[in-house]
Amino acid sequence: MTARSGSFNDYAALALSLGLAAVFIYAGVEKMGDSLQFADTIAAFGILPVALISLLALSLPPFEIACGLLLLWPPTRRVGALAIALISVVFFSALLSALARGLTLDCGCFGIGAPSRPRMWVELGLNVAFLLGALYVYLRSIVGLQVRAP
Amino acid sequence: MTSAPSLDQLDPGGPAQRSNPIWSILRDFVGVVMVALGSLAVGLVMNRFSSGTLPIVYQTPEQRFDAELTTLVTTPPFKIAPAATVGLPEFRSAVETKSTLILDARPSVFFEQGHVPGALNLARDDFARDYRHLAPVLQPATDKPTIVYCSGGDCHDSRLVANALLSLGFSNVRVFTGGWEEWSKAGLPVSKGSGP
Repeated sequence: MTARSGSFNDYAALALSLGLAAVFIYAGVEKMGDSLQFADTIAAFGILPVALISLLALSLPPFEIACGLLLLWPPTRRVGALAIALISVVFFSALLSALARGLTLDCGCFGIGAPSRPRMWVELGLNVAFLLGALYVYLRSIVGLQVRAP
Repeated sequence: MTSAPSLDQLDPGGPAQRSNPIWSILRDFVGVVMVALGSLAVGLVMNRFSSGTLPIVYQTPEQRFDAELTTLVTTPPFKIAPAATVGLPEFRSAVETKSTLILDARPSVFFEQGHVPGALNLARDDFARDYRHLAPVLQPATDKPTIVYCSGGDCHDSRLVANALLSLGFSNVRVFTGGWEEWSKAGLPVSKGSGP
């Protein structure tokens, strides 16, 4: 029973890794298409100081792509999962802050789109799902590191 | 009887050793920071060679447009085809019939001291601000015949403004090369103040 559940958890972690990798590589590629528009999207949240907006707009797309690629390779999967968990927390916080302030924005999470509050709530939920999935992959990898079934 | 996991069962990818989870997590955070810094470097390099370069210090869309407009009027004057200039008789006719958009490219202080009746001030040295101020008039008139003048003589401001307007999509822009000097010397009507 222990071996079978361990095998299921391994497959689940692998499936989540592949799914998260696909999502974040796609998201990163979409954002790279128009860095000016993405910077405007970040500025619209009204959170970051002006000096950091362009740096985030330039670094986030390749960071997402890198995280996705790290998830695909077992030795680097943990770092990729942790990175995705962290940026999911960042996205979640930014969206929640914008919703609380009554802003209607385009998150820019998956390319540029029209501002929409319903879409913001959907993306908030998606970020929770990504966070949970990434945490599962990460924690699973730590548990797997410590002990393996004989 | 269950035996404790052997050292070989720990971290099969490397030498058998005990793994401190806190240390592992800290190492992972360091890895994330390194990926972030590497991503920033990649982003900066890609931006350097991108056609739509993002300014390192963020500028709002309005600020970027102002910067583009200013760039349009600070490049060296380049040639306009002879057909793109007009003499005094044709310019006077255009002013009197009010069929043409007349633009004065001189600084506002000179414009207010005297300008061609009906002219609008689109100063070369404050092009971005004046263009945005006149946008409600200019943007619907990109197909309208337009003549730009400045002081005359060696003044290049009219050419710079005319070429900037052509770059912005205006299709029929010419330069009155005689400028304010020729108009005023001919004893023609003069308006004063900031209005047309």
